[in-house]
Amino acid sequence: MKVRSFFRYLVIILITLAIIFPVIWLVSTSFKNPVDIFAVPPIFIPGNPTTDHYATLFFEADIFKYILNSVIVASITTLVSLLAGTLAAYSLARFKFPLNLNFHLSFWVLSTRMFPPIVTIIPLFAMMRFFGLVNTRIGLILAYSAFNLPFVVWMMRGFFMEIPKELEEAAMVDGDSRMTAFRRIILPIAKPGLVATAVFTMILSWNEFLFALILSQTRAAATLPIGIASTVTQYEIKWGQMSAAGVIAVVPVLVFAFIVQRHLVRGMSFGAIKG
Amino acid sequence: MKEKIQARVENVTKRFDEVIAVNDISLQVKEGEFLVLLGPSGSGKTTLLRLLAGLERLSKGNIYISDALVNELPPRNRNIAMVFQNYALYPHMTVFENLGYPLKIRKRPKQEIQKRVREVAETLEIAELFSRKPKQISGGQRQRVALGRAMIRNANLFLMDEPLSNLDAKLRVQMRAELRRLQKTLGTTTVYVTHDQAEAMTLADRVAVINNGVIQQLASPEEIYFHPVNKFVAGFIGSPQMNFFHGIYSNATVKTDYFEYPLPAASKENLKREPEGKHVYLGIRPEDVHVSKTKIETAHSIRAKVYVSELMGAETYVFYTLGADEQFISRTSPDFKGQMDEEIWISFNEERLHMFDSETEETLL
Repeated sequence: MKVRSFFRYLVIILITLAIIFPVIWLVSTSFKNPVDIFAVPPIFIPGNPTTDHYATLFFEADIFKYILNSVIVASITTLVSLLAGTLAAYSLARFKFPLNLNFHLSFWVLSTRMFPPIVTIIPLFAMMRFFGLVNTRIGLILAYSAFNLPFVVWMMRGFFMEIPKELEEAAMVDGDSRMTAFRRIILPIAKPGLVATAVFTMILSWNEFLFALILSQTRAAATLPIGIASTVTQYEIKWGQMSAAGVIAVVPVLVFAFIVQRHLVRGMSFGAIKG
Repeated sequence: MKEKIQARVENVTKRFDEVIAVNDISLQVKEGEFLVLLGPSGSGKTTLLRLLAGLERLSKGNIYISDALVNELPPRNRNIAMVFQNYALYPHMTVFENLGYPLKIRKRPKQEIQKRVREVAETLEIAELFSRKPKQISGGQRQRVALGRAMIRNANLFLMDEPLSNLDAKLRVQMRAELRRLQKTLGTTTVYVTHDQAEAMTLADRVAVINNGVIQQLASPEEIYFHPVNKFVAGFIGSPQMNFFHGIYSNATVKTDYFEYPLPAASKENLKREPEGKHVYLGIRPEDVHVSKTKIETAHSIRAKVYVSELMGAETYVFYTLGADEQFISRTSPDFKGQMDEEIWISFNEERLHMFDSETEETLL
């Protein structure tokens, strides 16, 4: 038994190392002097660390602009997709539409995720240009929301279907309208699901590169991934700056995940419903 | 003084696509009465309750609660309270918050909420649970909290949808008695849905037996038990269920494949109509079947074979066979010791004999 659990832990540790290695390498590189970056054998912990790369990013490369764009785009996208997606998911989970529309609508929503996003990029660009939304945050927010919505709808629909409908019926008898029952009873119960969905949506829009690259070519709207990519210049690749920017991009997501971690564990039992 | 009517259902029909769940039902709920809607699953009883609550829309007809037409009113404006089969307690709220919720959303002052919650909790003996969440209390306690949440508002009408069916057998009997006392003390008008005929018999002032979306009979439990209007009601109420013997009626005698049973003179006078030459069912409840090891000369007795006997403790259920496939049951004193395949004599309590038309299933006797 002991031997088995030893191997189990060994495997877990190996896998964790493999996953975390790039992150360690990223952090380490961001503090290295240029000569150490390509040192052979590789240096994991730089002997004389430097914060030059961070300084350059903050004082010369205008990384704040990218961060601001990313924060605005990711958070508003999350808000919009969650708001619209949750309402759609609730109606798909609760109301019976004629002609088996519950299924067809859900499937149709999902089908927009069945092709690679790159397929849509050219028509999307044309549309955005027509409406003057290229190089604007609103353009990115619209595009991201459109691509995140199906995901939100399907996740939240699952959560809502798990909540017995008697709960809102009881609330409606107790004095709620459909809408207040949704707000005061259903939403609080679905909170773990809501939080999980928000995390995923946030990360997806935070990391998104392709749309951002095509739809935001100037700094007015460019997000962090674009900022990171801009360290690859015509003459050189600024590895140190690139790593530092990478670290900066990872930190907010980590912090966000830590804050909501408590809600991610689906502790709020639905077990109170059944006897 | 005329009895006050608390709720009125007039020619109500509810259709779900092709299925007619409730078919042109009319009934009245008197003030302070405990009315039980009894029927097998899929009979439409729960749909009728949900129509009263406003959780389903009527297809046809009118519903009045306290003399107000409520067809278009949402549940919250009907001044009703409801207890659900699975209790439907709000899992993210404590017991106290659950109890106070109906008052809180009606924006009553905090003090009043505190006071009412305390009163209700004392009546139901759940005050010590106030700070717990629903998942931290037992099934019986959840049941009480659900009941309390319904009681808190002094609603005009209490609706209960099989509230005891999730409890274990012992607790169910206990809660049933409590429910009955509570309803009588508080004088609440209650409509209660169940498929359990024992609950209907013990709780109800009146029972509405429902099948296929239609009320079969609406009467007191005694009336329903002793004078069912048709074969369905007769068979649905009572456990073990009534024995039915198929036969042909002629000359005041029912001829079955296995025996001939001449109707006693008194019964003959009570016949609703004489079904001369027609197919009928003779009905007799298990407790009205008498068994004897020797032939009784006075009563008309029938020869049968013991199939098996089951000692229940206070009584014995004896199963008999007549010929190849006809089976019936009697409830007998545990003193009777019938051996398997033993030939015995049985007779019926003639005052409790029932007869039904085999086509319409209506009661003839």
